[in-house]
Amino acid sequence: MNWNRAVWTVIAVIILITLGLEFTYLSDYDSHWWNHIPAFYAIYGFLCCLAIIYFAKFLAKNIVNRDIHYYD
Amino acid sequence: MIEFLTIPGVILIIGALLLPLLPKNMRGSVFLLFPLAALYVVFTTADGYSYGIEFFSYQVQLMEVDKLSRVFGIIFSITAFVAGVYALHMKELGQQVNALVYAGSALGVTFAGDLLTLIIFWELMAVSSTWLIWARRTKESDGAGMRYLIYHVLGGGLLLGGIIWHYADTGSLAVETIAQNYTFANVLMLVGVCVNAAVIPLHTWLADAYPKATITGAVFMSAFTTKSAVYVLIRVFPGWDVLIWFGAAMAIYGVVYAVICKDIREILAYHIISQVGFMVCGIGIGTDLALNGATAHAYSHILYKSLLFMGTGAVLYATGSSRLVNLGGLFKKMPYTFGLYMVGALSISGLPLFNGYISKSMTISAAGYAHIEGAQLMLLLASVGTFLSVGLKLPWFTWFDKKENDITVRKLPWNMYVAMGLAAFACIFYGIYPSALYTYLPFDAKYDPFTIYHFVEVMQISAMTLAGFWLLKKKLGGKLIIALDVDWFYRKAAPGVRKVFVTWVDNFYDRVEDGIIGTAQFLTEKFKNPMTWLNPFTDRRNKADGYSPAMDVVMSFIMLTFIVIAILYIL
Repeated sequence: MNWNRAVWTVIAVIILITLGLEFTYLSDYDSHWWNHIPAFYAIYGFLCCLAIIYFAKFLAKNIVNRDIHYYD
Repeated sequence: MIEFLTIPGVILIIGALLLPLLPKNMRGSVFLLFPLAALYVVFTTADGYSYGIEFFSYQVQLMEVDKLSRVFGIIFSITAFVAGVYALHMKELGQQVNALVYAGSALGVTFAGDLLTLIIFWELMAVSSTWLIWARRTKESDGAGMRYLIYHVLGGGLLLGGIIWHYADTGSLAVETIAQNYTFANVLMLVGVCVNAAVIPLHTWLADAYPKATITGAVFMSAFTTKSAVYVLIRVFPGWDVLIWFGAAMAIYGVVYAVICKDIREILAYHIISQVGFMVCGIGIGTDLALNGATAHAYSHILYKSLLFMGTGAVLYATGSSRLVNLGGLFKKMPYTFGLYMVGALSISGLPLFNGYISKSMTISAAGYAHIEGAQLMLLLASVGTFLSVGLKLPWFTWFDKKENDITVRKLPWNMYVAMGLAAFACIFYGIYPSALYTYLPFDAKYDPFTIYHFVEVMQISAMTLAGFWLLKKKLGGKLIIALDVDWFYRKAAPGVRKVFVTWVDNFYDRVEDGIIGTAQFLTEKFKNPMTWLNPFTDRRNKADGYSPAMDVVMSFIMLTFIVIAILYIL
């Protein structure tokens, strides 16, 4: 099974559908300041994902990771 | 008396007393009757019902029912049943009894009509759940169980102190909303409850103990302790601002650690902290919608989290390992477990048509409607982390990643599949028919989760999380490590504290004891026959075990004097 192609296809389909909905049904939705930014949630989600992974890696590497027998 | 026996918590505890009297093979099935009976009582008892008894001169309200306690009562009873099905193959009496007492005490807390009843069930919950950790019988679980117990005894003590202080101040023991006011009594109670809700930085007992509990015990534990604390927070501390930020912070804290951790049950344990963060944040916001959101999220969370713990428990049961480094490539060997796990994973990630969607979005929207946008964005960030670690990282490194895994896979008992199936059904059922849950919500706030806005929000975030994971997944695997948490402070301090408060005190007592015994020995030696050193002219080699003739005379004379004086005195 070609995982790469499957994953990127799923992502592309979802993003296309939701962007379509965003620009048609939600074009004049205004509740928060970020509603004016197109595809805000996609961008936010991607940035958050990278931020969490890199922050966790940073924490793990520099502060919290210890050998499994640390407390023994 | 009959009313006493129909208190849901009491039903389960009576069950725990009856189980040991039954034949071994019947216990597992009879176990299931008690949660069902409790569920029946919860459904049939009307709002406003209350029952109390006279205890010395004090009226103890053992049970009170309203919409809030009912919805928690329903989900606690259902989970006790489902977890009972999951544990059907397990024949260990200690675990069965303690699981029933544990579930019963959680129900007892839920329906407690006053703070006295509440604290009694609260403590019972701590003690009975500790058994489910110790029952694993490893060196790690022994230590973790002890730390868990100490932490909860401390939390219970704070709560009890707060209750007594509160009673002294107000003269009331009613379980009712306390207005935001940071008096000593209120803060003590709040901190005591926050220990059980695993609010950071009081959360370490959870991440420490849950992964080390027994396979079936962890399923019970994932449901009761934190959620009964959430219930108490909703009832007593709604709208306390401080909870908004602690909740949002713990939502993020949990997901960051879940990315670091490499043990599947530890990942889930940290995710409980994160999910309870959503609820705590909602409680802090305190609007009707937010409190409904917290309640609904607790309800959904208990369902999908128990499903997730059942799934990872099944992996641990089948392979004997919960470390990501040993797992991977299990899809061909455990496809059904994967499917059922994914229902829970998609639910916790809040994807449409699963029950996380109908409750998580309610809490996040409540933050939005209240225009606390900082908290709203923090919760959205936490949702990204949830999907990343429970929805993607954990299943990927457990069932895929490697082509094959030559680890031996034990066959799962049928009841495990049934239990996971029940929970998975409930997750999907509530995801499709949210009104089945919404009608039981305690506060009056209309909400429709199926809007285009929410759909777009959730799908965009999830799709791009998937993209981020796919690009960086190589960073997430790896061998098992210990991720230090704030428990470092007490686990590292423990030897020092033990030295000062145990070893040194022991040594001091030892010295004093040695001194006293030494002195006593010396005195007995010397006074056994004082004549040996009082009279230098006697034979010093007198018999050690008797008095010398001279000493006999002296002693007789003293005795005679006493008798004479006594006779004279009496006359």
